[in-house]
Amino acid sequence: MNPLLAQFLAEAADLLTSVDEGLLQLERDPGDPELVNEVFRAAHTFKGSSGLFDFPELTRLTHAAEDLLDAVRSGRLALDSGMTDDLLAAFDLIRGWLAYVTTHEQLPATAGPAAQSLITKLRGPLGGEQAAPDDSASAVAPTAVSDSAPGWLSAFETEWLESTASWLVTTSATIRFARYTPDEGCFFRAEDPLHLVRQVPALAGLGLIQPFEWPPPETYDEYQCLIGFVLATRAAVGELNHLFRYVPDQVEIVELDGAAIRRHLSGEEPPPRPAQAAAEAVVQSQAQNLELARDAYAILAAAQRSLTADSPSGARLSSVAHSVAAAAAALGAPAETVEPDVEALTARVATLLAETPAAPEEPPPAAPPPPVERATADRGRADDPGGQVGTRILKVDQEKVDHLMELVGELNVAKNGLTFLADAAEEEFGSRVLGRRIKDQYSGLHRIAEELQAAVMDVRMLPLSVAFSRFPRLIRDLSRRLDKTVELVTEGDDTMADKDVIEALGDPLVHLVRNSLDHGIETSAERVAAGKAPAARITLTAVADGDAVIVEIADDGRGIDPDKVKRKAYEKGLISEDELEALTETDAVDLIFRPGFSTADQVSDLSGRGVGMDAVRASVEKLGGTVTMRSQPGRGTSTRLRLPLSMAVTQVMVVSVAGQRFGIPVDLVVETVRVPAAEIGRVLHQDVVVLRGEVVPVIDLARVLDMPWTPDPAADQRVLIVSLHGQRVGLLVEQFHREVDVILKPMEGLLAYAGEFSGTALLGDGLVLLVLNMKEVLSLAARTQ
Amino acid sequence: MSDNRPKVLVVDDAATVRMYHTKLLDDAGFEVAAAANGLEAVEAAMSTAFDLFVVDVNMPKMNGYTCVETLRSETVGTPAPILMISTEDRPGDADRAYAAGANLYLVKPVNAERLARVARMLTSGVAA
Repeated sequence: MNPLLAQFLAEAADLLTSVDEGLLQLERDPGDPELVNEVFRAAHTFKGSSGLFDFPELTRLTHAAEDLLDAVRSGRLALDSGMTDDLLAAFDLIRGWLAYVTTHEQLPATAGPAAQSLITKLRGPLGGEQAAPDDSASAVAPTAVSDSAPGWLSAFETEWLESTASWLVTTSATIRFARYTPDEGCFFRAEDPLHLVRQVPALAGLGLIQPFEWPPPETYDEYQCLIGFVLATRAAVGELNHLFRYVPDQVEIVELDGAAIRRHLSGEEPPPRPAQAAAEAVVQSQAQNLELARDAYAILAAAQRSLTADSPSGARLSSVAHSVAAAAAALGAPAETVEPDVEALTARVATLLAETPAAPEEPPPAAPPPPVERATADRGRADDPGGQVGTRILKVDQEKVDHLMELVGELNVAKNGLTFLADAAEEEFGSRVLGRRIKDQYSGLHRIAEELQAAVMDVRMLPLSVAFSRFPRLIRDLSRRLDKTVELVTEGDDTMADKDVIEALGDPLVHLVRNSLDHGIETSAERVAAGKAPAARITLTAVADGDAVIVEIADDGRGIDPDKVKRKAYEKGLISEDELEALTETDAVDLIFRPGFSTADQVSDLSGRGVGMDAVRASVEKLGGTVTMRSQPGRGTSTRLRLPLSMAVTQVMVVSVAGQRFGIPVDLVVETVRVPAAEIGRVLHQDVVVLRGEVVPVIDLARVLDMPWTPDPAADQRVLIVSLHGQRVGLLVEQFHREVDVILKPMEGLLAYAGEFSGTALLGDGLVLLVLNMKEVLSLAARTQ
Repeated sequence: MSDNRPKVLVVDDAATVRMYHTKLLDDAGFEVAAAANGLEAVEAAMSTAFDLFVVDVNMPKMNGYTCVETLRSETVGTPAPILMISTEDRPGDADRAYAAGANLYLVKPVNAERLARVARMLTSGVAA
């Protein structure tokens, strides 16, 4: 994609977000002039940038939105929710277009009609007057652009031509190409072709035309010019004509747009044109000269306005003198030395504007330092480079950061390899000294790798506001549809978490907020009847808690009725009659997370069908987090998500079965125990072990994973106790190993089907470690038992 | 490219416009630096002598008019030509620009050729 378009799309995303946020805030706080100004500015900047591209509908629609916002800003209109709806709809439409532009580099074909109806709506409050489309600004006298590219364009590099064409097409601009074929005997007429070419202003490209066949050395005459030049320039045809005025018969100039260059590249025939190229060049040159003159006049007119409005002095006056001199030179007026005072300059400008290239009425005495000269001296031509002054924040492609993280992971693996090498040095080669040296080297490398990892992780951190940003809009739209009044409060949006966590948090959060709006929050009438404030409140809170971030979604709605939940669960066969009696209120609320549970009497289109709280819990647990819910009937519900700050590095406990090693997330591990084989009992077809009075089911990992290993009944059995949803389960394994930090890679390709593993990681000795998804392992165990 | 190309400072808060003007003026033979608002522009002008300024009007932190006024004030005191480019096309805006110290006021989007032409014309006294 053209880099300018890519830049525009990136900037547009930011601007649209601030427009949306601003509009929503404005609805709550309609009078805030600073807010109006902010929204207006964002829309304004957006319109300005869109004008650089050939997206007329986009510019027209933004223009209409901007006009409406301008009326609000100046106090001519009061923003109402109807207008806000139209504005939001306009920017939604634009967002959709931009998504299309991202893939197609053009607006969808439907853009015209879609824009028109919204423009009519947006202009309604302004009295419906149809402002002229915003293309008047670019109304420059069209120059005669040739659409047939001459064959000698091939002297340029194809790649350069392609990129130039793309740039020209994007900006609807043209470029001048010239072929200069110096006469063979030019050196004898004091012509210097090379010098001439070097003087071409704004040279964009240069190519060499060599003779079809160089003469053999014996007949080669170095005083003959056998080569020619092709060049591309941003300079006007007029400027080129002027430069080559002594050799007009040796120069051919054409002005081309991007389309013509593309046709040339694809070898297409240009549409036939009646006019001759030479005649065209004359017309072009005249048009260019005309424009040159027009610009010079514009500068002079500006100078006149500056001089008559007030009496400029100092730097302002010098600059006016400078611009007058520049315009005069462009008009071909003789150079004048004018006093740097208002009167003299005014006279000079008036003379020039009157198009009388005569001397000014009061010829100034040869004043010592002429203004322009002094101005140049004052500036001092500092040697320091200009440099980029823009913002110092880099926007980096996510993929690059991901790649960096992968490399850190590989570095860790390579680093861990050193410990194995050290062991090998000692054991296989018997050199303890070498082993120790390798270990020393390892610890140095280890420190650097850790710092590097921390630095990369830090780059990946994003504020929670990224995840929260969509909720103001979501809540506004949904609450309007449900006819509920809801206020959103966010707290701790500057809490930071890894970008993967933030990304993965999005869907569960949306689900929870929708649930809250749909089921938790009552209508205003119900709330008033219950003695509550008519406007409900949803609070999104984020706090950092050590290595974890806690996100809480709380509402002050009707809460969850534990009895109703229990009855529903019983009706659906999720719990037994005994449980119906025995379950505590907290456990009853937890039933909501069971697969196949839904409390809504009817499925609404908001919460969606078939996706329940079990999906929320599953996706949070996949991130290595937990979900808990608390509710007080009549007072509200709060759901708390606890997620690791970073998902990039996982600490796993390594165990082995049948010689194959497996990892288990350390978070789940409670303890490791060794028990005599005789102490493992059997209750209801299930192996169990009694630990401190608690009966813990034991699962034979080898059997579940179908590995060839049977425990030695004579030896102590090794059991890893893990905790899942507060339940303890023992895993019978062959051996315990140490804990390691690994970078987990998801199961992909051929392994993707294996749900019992949550991912793979490389160990330092090059072996692949499979990390267990304990939830799946347990359900697999339940099926195989 | 040689070091004696005229230096221009492009001042615009819209990154896309900044990029567009930068590329255009670079093609037109200028050495281009960019600033995202008036304040940055003034800071840049205090450390570097520019031969031309291309300044947007509507910007956060310090708008174009204030920026141009400051560039002309004793704080900076640059006599270099200033070209103001804006989307505003209302009567009085141009006068405001000239009163602040601009040498030419153009309305966006400025045709690529025209910007290059005017920029070169305004800096024609500077060695190229």
